[in-house]
Amino acid sequence: MELVMIRGLRKLNKGVALIVGFGLLLCAAFVLTDIIMRQIGTSLGGTEEIAGYAMALATAWGMAFTLLELGHVRIDLLRSQTGSFAKAMFDLFSMAVMSAVVITIAIKSWPVVERSLINGSRANTPLETPLVWVQMPWFAGWVWFAIMSSLMTLAALSLILKRRHAETEQFAGAFAEQETLQ
Amino acid sequence: MIVYISAGLLGLLALSIPVGIVLFLLGFGVDTFFSSFPLTRGLGNMVWSSSNSATLIAIPFFVLLGEILVRSGVATRTYAALDRWVSWLPGGLVHANVATATMFSATSGSSVATAATVATVAMPQAEKLGYDPKLFSGAIAAGGTLGIMIPPSINLIVYGFLTQSSIPQLFLAGLIPGLALAIAFMAVTAIICIIRPDLGGVRRTFPFPQMLRALVDLIPILILFGLIVGSIYLGWATPTEAAAVGVAGAFLIALAFGGVSWSMLTQSLTGTVKITSMIMLIVIGASFLNFTLASAGLGRELTAFMTGLGLTPLKTILVVVVLYIVLGFFIETLSLMVVTIPIIVPLVVAQGYDVIWFGILMIVLIEMALITPPVGLNLYVVQGARKSGSLNEVMLGALPYCLTMLAMAFLLIAFPSIALFLPNALQ
Repeated sequence: MELVMIRGLRKLNKGVALIVGFGLLLCAAFVLTDIIMRQIGTSLGGTEEIAGYAMALATAWGMAFTLLELGHVRIDLLRSQTGSFAKAMFDLFSMAVMSAVVITIAIKSWPVVERSLINGSRANTPLETPLVWVQMPWFAGWVWFAIMSSLMTLAALSLILKRRHAETEQFAGAFAEQETLQ
Repeated sequence: MIVYISAGLLGLLALSIPVGIVLFLLGFGVDTFFSSFPLTRGLGNMVWSSSNSATLIAIPFFVLLGEILVRSGVATRTYAALDRWVSWLPGGLVHANVATATMFSATSGSSVATAATVATVAMPQAEKLGYDPKLFSGAIAAGGTLGIMIPPSINLIVYGFLTQSSIPQLFLAGLIPGLALAIAFMAVTAIICIIRPDLGGVRRTFPFPQMLRALVDLIPILILFGLIVGSIYLGWATPTEAAAVGVAGAFLIALAFGGVSWSMLTQSLTGTVKITSMIMLIVIGASFLNFTLASAGLGRELTAFMTGLGLTPLKTILVVVVLYIVLGFFIETLSLMVVTIPIIVPLVVAQGYDVIWFGILMIVLIEMALITPPVGLNLYVVQGARKSGSLNEVMLGALPYCLTMLAMAFLLIAFPSIALFLPNALQ
């Protein structure tokens, strides 16, 4: 059951990552157009601002994908010396701590959105972007990350309770850089 | 507070909590124990303002550029072409490893990607031509580290972002030390192979027309490098914009070589998202920790600490070098860099050192960390691409190059102008 859920989440987040990736590609195209237009004396304007927003959104929404692909760097010097049960405990502990921190970040991000919402804040730039437009999806990305890491923590916990601790490794284990670079 | 941060950092990292999360935890700790007003209230704003950054979007762009080049088969052609040009040297193909790594460094910003690329292409050749597996794989691991020194470099972008120093100047400063290291690696290879010819495999020469034809395969990469670096220094583009230019260039090259397909595109894009988020979690964590440390008055404490120690500036730098070598055994490049910047950079700058120069010194030390066991990512990447043999062979093979880097670090300390000459000359 747990592994089926993880597989589903992986697929879902791969889709998210693909959307984020194409978003970044679009942003690169936009920046490029602006450089070319500047050479002929005109400009789209606001590329810097939009690039910043793209980065904030890409970061927030890419986090969960990286988590599910075991991409967040961990130092597994001690962990790698231990057996499968101790490894599973290391992984559960680090997943639990991670979820707690990410939930905190998501909660503390809300006031940023709330302030823009109440004040109707606009960016201090020529585009005068209403900040809520960007901050709302940005906030949603961190909430998504918090939900994903909580679900993974629960899956790891449930497997360990069922004494299937060797199986947590494949989704909560440390860092599989070699495979990812092939 | 310095003791708390250092102990907390090592303890939490040892528990194998993700590095980025450790930085947040330390920030919460500083807030709870050392600050008279609540800093965590600023957390949301820190996360927003440190990721809403047009400077940092250069990171996904440079990652994507590297991914496209790696996945479209450009690396194989580059390697074959360089083989034609350098294999007459004592050490033969080992030089091609270093040279290919150098060329890829000049377009990609990541050391691990560079090592992985070269290793996949080169390893099959080693067995065929009878090279010593130690030296051969060590050269790939070491050559790959140049990726973070020769511009464009993701690590230098992060350094510039966190220390608020000029990224174009950092790029310029990295150029001469990076090329010098590449040449030094090749010289060391040649010397080893003159003393022990059996390590070097077959030396081969190719007819001149064949060498000329091979050049065609190198031109695209050279043009790409010129485009990226040139557009920054001609003032056409910021480093971020140059990265976008690089993405377009890499696409064109991949198209010209017939390496573009839907699966290659989706793999490159998801790979980019993965690496970017990995880097950004650490960068955002470091920004938050920076903010709490500065608010809690780390600067004053550090100055008092240093005055208490009574070290001269030179001794301070030597202590810093030793610290990085020791930490480098256990902690990896970007993490090592980011977790130490908040404490070490203010300390070094307070002693009167140049922040750009120190960035380059730090990169050399971090490059060493990539190939020093037990945790040396490039060693594992190269080992991963090998079909046989043990990790120990790669470690041994990397040792001479490691010593070369150490020599480079001392040269940088003795002659800061190795790094600062170009940025000063072009200012």
